[in-house]
Amino acid sequence: MTFRTRLLLIFTLAVVVSVGMVEWVVSVTARRAFERLESRRVDALVTQFRREYQRRGAEIARAVNGVAASAPVTEIAMASDYSAYYGEAASLAAAHGLDLLELVAGDGAIISSAEWPARFGYKEDWLAAGAWNSGSAFLRREELPDGFTLALSAVGTAAAGDRKLYVAGGQRLDRDFLSTLTLPAGMRVLLYRNFDPHFAPADLIESAGAARPAQAERLRPLIEQVVKRRAELSGAVGAGEDAETFHALPLSGAENDLLGVLLIGSSRRELAQMEAFLHWTGIIVALAGILLGIALSWWATARITRPVRKLVDSAEKVAAGDWGTTVEATSADEIGQLARAFNRMTGELVAQRQRLVQAERVAAWRELARRLAHELKNPLFPLQITVENMQRARDSFPDQFDEVFREGSATLLAELANLKRIVARFSDFAKMPAPEMQPVDFNRLAAEALKLLEPQLAKAGVAVKLELDPGLRIVQADPEQMTRALRNLVLNAIDAMPGGGALTVRTMALPHGVRLEVSDTGEGLKPEERERLFTPYYTTKTHGTGLGLAIVQSVVSDHGGRISVESEPGKGATFRIDLE
Amino acid sequence: MNAGMAGWKPALRWLRRPAQAACIGALLVSISAFAATRPRYGGTLRVEIRESFDAADSPAAQRLLGALSAGFTLGQWEPGRRAVYTANDNAAGGRPFLDSVEIQMARPVRDQSIDLGLDRADVVELGPEQLRREAPGRRVWVSAPVRVAAIVFQARVEDARIREALALAVDRAAIHSVLLQRQGEVSGALLPQWISGCAFLFPGAADLARARLLLASVPVAARRLTLGVEDAAWQPVADRIALNARDAGLTVILAAPRAAADARLVEARFSSSDPARALADLAAALAFPEPPRAASPEALYAAESALLEGFRVIPLFHLPDAYGVSPRVKGGPGITPLGEWRFANLWLEGGRP
Repeated sequence: MTFRTRLLLIFTLAVVVSVGMVEWVVSVTARRAFERLESRRVDALVTQFRREYQRRGAEIARAVNGVAASAPVTEIAMASDYSAYYGEAASLAAAHGLDLLELVAGDGAIISSAEWPARFGYKEDWLAAGAWNSGSAFLRREELPDGFTLALSAVGTAAAGDRKLYVAGGQRLDRDFLSTLTLPAGMRVLLYRNFDPHFAPADLIESAGAARPAQAERLRPLIEQVVKRRAELSGAVGAGEDAETFHALPLSGAENDLLGVLLIGSSRRELAQMEAFLHWTGIIVALAGILLGIALSWWATARITRPVRKLVDSAEKVAAGDWGTTVEATSADEIGQLARAFNRMTGELVAQRQRLVQAERVAAWRELARRLAHELKNPLFPLQITVENMQRARDSFPDQFDEVFREGSATLLAELANLKRIVARFSDFAKMPAPEMQPVDFNRLAAEALKLLEPQLAKAGVAVKLELDPGLRIVQADPEQMTRALRNLVLNAIDAMPGGGALTVRTMALPHGVRLEVSDTGEGLKPEERERLFTPYYTTKTHGTGLGLAIVQSVVSDHGGRISVESEPGKGATFRIDLE
Repeated sequence: MNAGMAGWKPALRWLRRPAQAACIGALLVSISAFAATRPRYGGTLRVEIRESFDAADSPAAQRLLGALSAGFTLGQWEPGRRAVYTANDNAAGGRPFLDSVEIQMARPVRDQSIDLGLDRADVVELGPEQLRREAPGRRVWVSAPVRVAAIVFQARVEDARIREALALAVDRAAIHSVLLQRQGEVSGALLPQWISGCAFLFPGAADLARARLLLASVPVAARRLTLGVEDAAWQPVADRIALNARDAGLTVILAAPRAAADARLVEARFSSSDPARALADLAAALAFPEPPRAASPEALYAAESALLEGFRVIPLFHLPDAYGVSPRVKGGPGITPLGEWRFANLWLEGGRP
């Protein structure tokens, strides 16, 4: 990752995190404020409901007591036969504004029922048992021909002598009741009638009618919790703009049985809209921040990284061998100091290199002179001895001079030939010809080269092992030069094993070329020897020009290949040539 | 003459029953009033009825209005609305005291009572509710029980257990004492006791336990039927029947008027005091096959039992005709024990001597 990219990411991250934190803080604060407001609204509505509930209860109790004290009821109470009055409840209920009214005899038998006229004669045991609150209204589950309903009921009594008559009346707690509650915008009230042992969606109503089944299902967990725990609970329902917070109020009957659950819902639409606004504002600010970050980072990186980039380019040039590269150092800051240090470093490198080249050149000439002196000294000594023998023979033994001369001449010629060969080798190294490329089978080349060297190998007591890869492909190479390189490696190996050993010549197919390896079991090489192994005129042997491996490297290099050596002291050496 | 007397005998038997003491008393009062008051001529007797007839000579119209032909002739006929009969000067029994009888048809019972109270009618039909309520100066004519209220099943209700369960579930006594204000009689028979003499042999008491037992073997989905009501006046009775059925485990849904229903709550009338003819009348009214002519009480019982077998029809009550009469109507009673009109001997207060 470039410095510019990293800087851009840091800028962007900083902007996004900052905007996100601000948005989070604002959202949390707004949500808390909204929830406080909502809580106050719900409390107000709960209070309103309770007040309305009590007011209705008082009204109903008054109405029921009014019915009980009315003349018709007194007449009924005194009657010996109730059968004539079975239709009275309906007219009394209508006159006193009650939805439900039953006139019940002292034994609990219904005399007249406004809500279900056909139930005359049926028993209302709860009245006779006194399971009701005298003088005040209470919630009750009433059975009607078309099902159950919740009613706010009250019971009054009328007495005639020792005869008693119950008047049980009430008003339905239904959608009409819910519609009388004054609701602020965004709030609504639902009523769940707890008629069944299990949750029944049809028993959930609101002022507009039955609640939608899907909505009932969403409220189901909250209602079930309230029914189970018989306590006020609150919970959020839905998501997004449809989300609502519901406060659930358990409604109990006279016998403390849970008959209903009042649900006061407060829409979270405004909060959701505000949160959405904050969210999108945050996104827009963040995007703007990112764009600003990009621009800033572009500008900053342009200022900061341009000299760094120049330094990098210059360093790469130095790495590529252009040691004289310098960078422009205009600023006085750390980058400028770095540029000046870089320039000093490259200047120093160039100077050191020149010194090193000169030193190496001197060393090379010295080595060459030493090698030449060494190589030339060997044939010169026999030449000197031979000439001195010939002079001594001509002075001291003239009769043997001819013979000495003949032998001396032969020796001189031989040594001169030796001198000529030495000179030719030096000359060859100086003038390596360009390779003449042609398809070459390295398996065959290796086998033929070893065949030519068999006498030397046998003489040196070296066992040869040839490991040829049959899948080796034909590559373009100069067979003569490659034979010469292989022969040099084999001769080098023979020299490395003066007491005999094993020589392994191995070919191997590479994905895009061939590999040729020559391994010996000689003494091996020290690390410093390995480093200078391919240096011309360098040798670890007491004889030789030090050009053998240099020639091998030159040949391999001219073929675009690579030569390497693996060796450790005492473990032999392996020369490896890779060609493509 | 003997045949005429034979027709009156059952009526006389009914009159001797203690339960009809009030009716006898009323008749005696009327007779004494008749004796004490001298008849006067003239005036129009205004009569209101629930039923409506499209033609004066239709069998239904003849049943009610046919009796007028003895002293009156049809003067005006507005189909389904109004009819006016005028006195026949040449009537075999002499000219009626009344000049005419005006009959208003299709008048609800409640409205009829109001009209009587406001002196817009002279003779009106009384339902149980109206019968119970006292009205100043109002007289009441009550016939012997001449109608039977019953539940009749359609052929598609094949399960006899359901029919029997409903028969056992209905609390006839409660309906009779409250909704019918003890008018008529509770019965499980088609013919009333005063005609057949054996109505008590057909049980009419509710037995919820047995009804539940019967329904226990009926699949729950099949424990449901619709009940149609022909006359809105019977709606409270139908509601109570549905409630009783629910107690037994049977769902009875009241069908809308004129809608197809599994069973119907109907009222059938017989127009003869002869048991065999009365049974034949009821069988015809309920669309049952005509029973064999019964010559003996045993045969009559067998014929009635055959009709009731299988609970295709569940008799509930036997009901009389009851009329409220304005105080200005004198003479009478204006109906026979079979509920037939006898207006020829009535006169109106304030008529000409």
